[in-house]
This record gives sequence, structure tokens and C-alpha cells, in this order.
Amino acid sequence: MGLLRYTLWRVAQAIPVLVGIITITFFLANQIPGDPVEIMLGPSPAQGQVEAIRARYGLDRPAYERFLTYLSGVVTGDLGRSIYYDRPVLEMILLRLPVTLYLTVSAFLFAIVTAIPLGVISAKRRNKPADHVSRIVSLIGVSTPSFWIGLMLIIVFAFHLGWFPARGLPLPWASPADIRGAETQLQVVWTSLHHLAMPMVALGTLQMAQITRIERSSMVESLQGEYVKLARAYGVSESKIARKHAFQVAQLPVITIIGLGLSTALGGAVLTETVFEIPGMGRLIITAINNQDYELIMGTTFMFGVAFVVGVIVTDIAYAYIDPRVAYGEET
Amino acid sequence: MATETDTPTDTPANTEGTGAGEIEARVGLRYTLRQVRRDTTARIGIYTIGFITVVAVLASIDHYVFGYGVAEAIWYSPVQDPEQVERLLPPVGMENQFGQGTLEHPMGTDHRGRDILGRLFYGTRIAITVGFMATAIGLIGGTLIGAISGYYGGWIDDVLQRFTETIYAIPFLVLVIAFMTAFGRNLTFAMVGVGITSVPVFNRLIRSRVVSVREEDYIEAARAAGVKDRNIIFRHVIPNSFAPVLVQATLQIGVSILIVAGLSFLGFGAQPPTPSWGQMLSASRNYMLPAPTFSIFPGIAILITVIGFNILGDGLQDALDPRINN
Repeated sequence: MGLLRYTLWRVAQAIPVLVGIITITFFLANQIPGDPVEIMLGPSPAQGQVEAIRARYGLDRPAYERFLTYLSGVVTGDLGRSIYYDRPVLEMILLRLPVTLYLTVSAFLFAIVTAIPLGVISAKRRNKPADHVSRIVSLIGVSTPSFWIGLMLIIVFAFHLGWFPARGLPLPWASPADIRGAETQLQVVWTSLHHLAMPMVALGTLQMAQITRIERSSMVESLQGEYVKLARAYGVSESKIARKHAFQVAQLPVITIIGLGLSTALGGAVLTETVFEIPGMGRLIITAINNQDYELIMGTTFMFGVAFVVGVIVTDIAYAYIDPRVAYGEET
Repeated sequence: MATETDTPTDTPANTEGTGAGEIEARVGLRYTLRQVRRDTTARIGIYTIGFITVVAVLASIDHYVFGYGVAEAIWYSPVQDPEQVERLLPPVGMENQFGQGTLEHPMGTDHRGRDILGRLFYGTRIAITVGFMATAIGLIGGTLIGAISGYYGGWIDDVLQRFTETIYAIPFLVLVIAFMTAFGRNLTFAMVGVGITSVPVFNRLIRSRVVSVREEDYIEAARAAGVKDRNIIFRHVIPNSFAPVLVQATLQIGVSILIVAGLSFLGFGAQPPTPSWGQMLSASRNYMLPAPTFSIFPGIAILITVIGFNILGDGLQDALDPRINN
């Protein structure tokens, strides 16, 4: 029961942040110089056309009125219409969002699967060669621009070795009819994973490095805990201590850093999508900005914020599940 | 951490003379800096940052005083297209269909015949300027918000914290891009934008320090003596939080350099012809097959610079919290 109430409380807490995101994006979109209607209609529109379009998109009304309209629209799931494409913003976002989520979630899985062993080994063999290697790898990981890793992967694995495709990212659940050279669903999944490998590594490396660093220091601290001394006194083997006793406790800070890393990763997706020419949310926001498409800029920025907030709530709930003291409001 | 009571201007307060010599106060800024100087890795970080900063200063002098005169004398102009364009000359020691590289261009040339090494040197200006300025903006903004929020508490705290949470909730890069679209696609707004994204980081750090320091006896004493709130915050609370902020600021400079490189890569940073690393990487995308080195070197430049700040930051961190590594 505690966990359910905690979940509801966390969701309620997110509401002011979401309203804040809408306010900030609305304010920024309204500051954009230039006129989207002019961009849409070209240099010499027919008489009355500009006014008609302004009235249609409500651009002739005062800002606060448009803000309230927009806010009530968001509540009912209406993010407005893209002025440039003349399509509902939500529809355009829902087409692109799965690609970005597929990429980001895969990048995190890659990061977690590689970082946790690296961090644990590092902590267990502190100041030994394995630790030094792992620390250097994670230092380079946090210091390298993700888009440059992408470029290097393309040069080596796409251009020179020809192992992986350099662009695009089909979804694994796409219809075989839409994917060239694929006949069965299994082939679609394979094509998708084949395309996923390089962007996933490019986007996930930074997270991998950050999680390794946290995992290491958290494990080092955990291995010095009283419960480890107790287990040792009872004659539990060192490997079992590391695997069971110290490991579980050490995961709490790691979960926190995963939640916070989402912000970086979602932003990084914009770069990764550019490098690998993946039609996701990142490309959508860049296109929207180049077209000065207010509603689309607001919609995509808002959805990026929503993705982050949902991610943080999920990690918080995972945290509360692992450490029930959180849900019952005790000091941790 | 509340034991850290000496301000940067004080001498370590609890230094006592003993027979053998002085016992160091294991707290405070001076102790931290002394520890860092003993740390070989951190020293490498300092040298790297020092070298890049010197290059950046020299490049700026050349830009403002000589109008790139020095650059033109040594390399092809890093800014304007030279008259004779030798496209994509490979670096020295490499041979391919473009012919042997010459010592004149040790890293080869770019798609406009400009020397890559020269442009890398001149690209330090953007990286260093934006790294320091953006962090300074974030530091000042975050410190003010965090200190006010933590010191006063109550509704002021609530409002300010919801505000910074909101900023944090929009992914950094998306926020800066939206910000620059609204206010202007130039370097000034890139710095301000990146600075804003680091406000929540410093805010959280300072606020948690202020909340714990607020209850200290000497703050109580200052308040009882009739010292104004503003003076308590700026003279006592903030100086006492200086050391962890220094660590965060060092790391944040590296993060800012990465964000700005990403922005330039997307076309939102310094505009051509000003040389910047991200923009070089962006241009290199069309030449990855014939001239991979054009993509490799600017990335290495970013990597080395950011590593410099990260190892210095780690060194400072270890000096402040020796439990983790030693």
C-alpha cells in the first residue's frame, strides 16, 4: 500500500514541473523573432491570406489568452497544429517518439549491462590494473562528445569494415513490407538491431562511464559497511559478499544517477539522431526550429520534458521498491 | 562537512605547533589545493588546462590585435579561404589518393584548404571562453538561487526549487537550442543558455550546504549580533561552501565545453568562419570517407580539453573527500 501511495504522490508532484515546462517553452516560443506565417506563405502572399491564417491558428489573440488555450489543450491531449506541415503536433510526435525512446532505452541498457560489471570489478580490485583500466575507460567516456564517437564508429565500422549501416533506424515492430530486403518479422528485428548497434554505443558511452564511476565508489563504500564485516565474520566467501551483500546496497545511488542521466541522454539523442540520420524527436525539433514552427517547437520540447519526468518517476519508484524506507517517508 | 569552518581568507584555524612541526588542518581550501598539488594526475590536468588556456589567449591576441596576421603568416588563414585551395591534404606521414602530406600542414587541411592544426589552435578560444563564461553564469545564478532558497526556506524556497527543477527537466541540449532560437543564434546566447542549464546543479549544491550551515552556532551568533541577512549569506554562508563548489565548477567547465561542441555541431554555436571544434566536426561529416583525419583531430582536441578539467575536478574531489580513494 505504501508503494502505491508513494507513486501517486510522486505523480502529483510532477504536475507543477510539467506546467512549468509548458510555461517556459511557451515563453521561449513567443520570443522567436520572425513570422512563421510569412515563412509558410512565402514572400508575397495573396491579400487577406496572412490574416486568415493568423485567425485560424489564433495568432491574432493576446499572448496570455493563447497560453491559457494552449494549457487547456495540453490537458485534453491537444498540442495544437504544426503551422508548417498543417498537421496535429501530437500526431507528428507520436510518429517520432518511439524511435527516440527505442534508441535512448537501448543506450541505457547497454550502459547498465557494461557499467555494473566494470564498476564492481574496479571496486573489488581497487588500485590494481583492472581498476586502472576501468577508471581510464570511464574517464575517457565522460570526456568524449557522443556525436564524435558516432562519427568514429561510422568511419571504422560502416565505411572501412562495412559491418554496420551508417544511417537510419527501423523499429523492430515495423511491418516487413516497409523494410527493404526483409520478408519476415524476424528479419525486421534483425535489421533493426543491426542499425541500432552503433547509435546505441555512441549515445550510451557517456552513461556507461558515469554509471561505472558511481558503481565503483558506491561499491567501495558498501564493501566497508558493517554488514560486510558481519558476513565476513560468519565466514561467507568474499565473492558471495561482493555478489550478494555489498552489491544490493550499492545499487541505490546507481538508480539515482540513471534517472538524472536521462536528461543528458535525451539531449544527446538529438546529436545521435543527427549523426546517424535517424528520424526521431531530435530531428523533429531541429526541423521545427528551422521552419520557425512555434507549435511544433513547443510540443517537442514539452514531450522531451515529459519523457524526462516520467523517467525520473519510474526510477524513483524503483528506488522506493528496493528501499522501502523511502515510500514510508523515513530518513534514508 | 559542517566542520569546514575556515574561510578562504583565513589561515587554517586549528593549526597547532607541536614538537615535530605543524599539524595540518585537514579542511578548507588551502589544504585542498595543497593536496591537489601532490596529486600527479591532477597536476597533468592543471598543465593541460594551462596549455590550452595559453593557446586560447595567444589566439585571441592574434585575433584582436593583429587581425589573424600571425595565423596567416604561419598557416593558411584559419578564417578566410585562401586563394589557392588545396582540398583535403592528408596529415604528415599518411598517404592516400590525395598525395603525401607536407610539413606545412602536419594535420592536413580541411575542405577549404585551411590548415587543420591552425584551426584547432584557434578553436581553443571558443572552447575556453564558453567553458569558463557559461560556468561562471551558472555558478553565480545557481549560488544566488541556492543561497536565498536555503537561507530563507518557506515559500521562497518552494518557488525557487520548483523553478530550477523545471529547468532541469528539459534536456540540456533541447533547452539551449530552444533558448538560442528565441534570443539569437550567437555565441553570447550559447554561453548564457549553457550557463542556465548548470544553474540547477550549483543551486542544489549550495542549497544543501546552506541548509546545514544555517543552524551553525556562528551564524546564530552573527544574527544575534544584528548582522544583516545579506551579509550573513555572502560573508559567511557562501565562503563556507567554496570548496565543493570549486570541484563542481571544474567538472562543469568540461560539461559546458561538451555541450557547446554539440551545439556548434548542430549549427547553433559560433558561426563560420570563426573556427570552433564542433563546427569543424560538422563540416567533416561530408568528407569522412576520403579524409577521416578531418573528423578525428577536432574530436581529440575536445577529448583532451575535457579530460583536463575532469581529472583536475577528480583530484580536487579526492582532496576534499579522501575516504573514497585512499
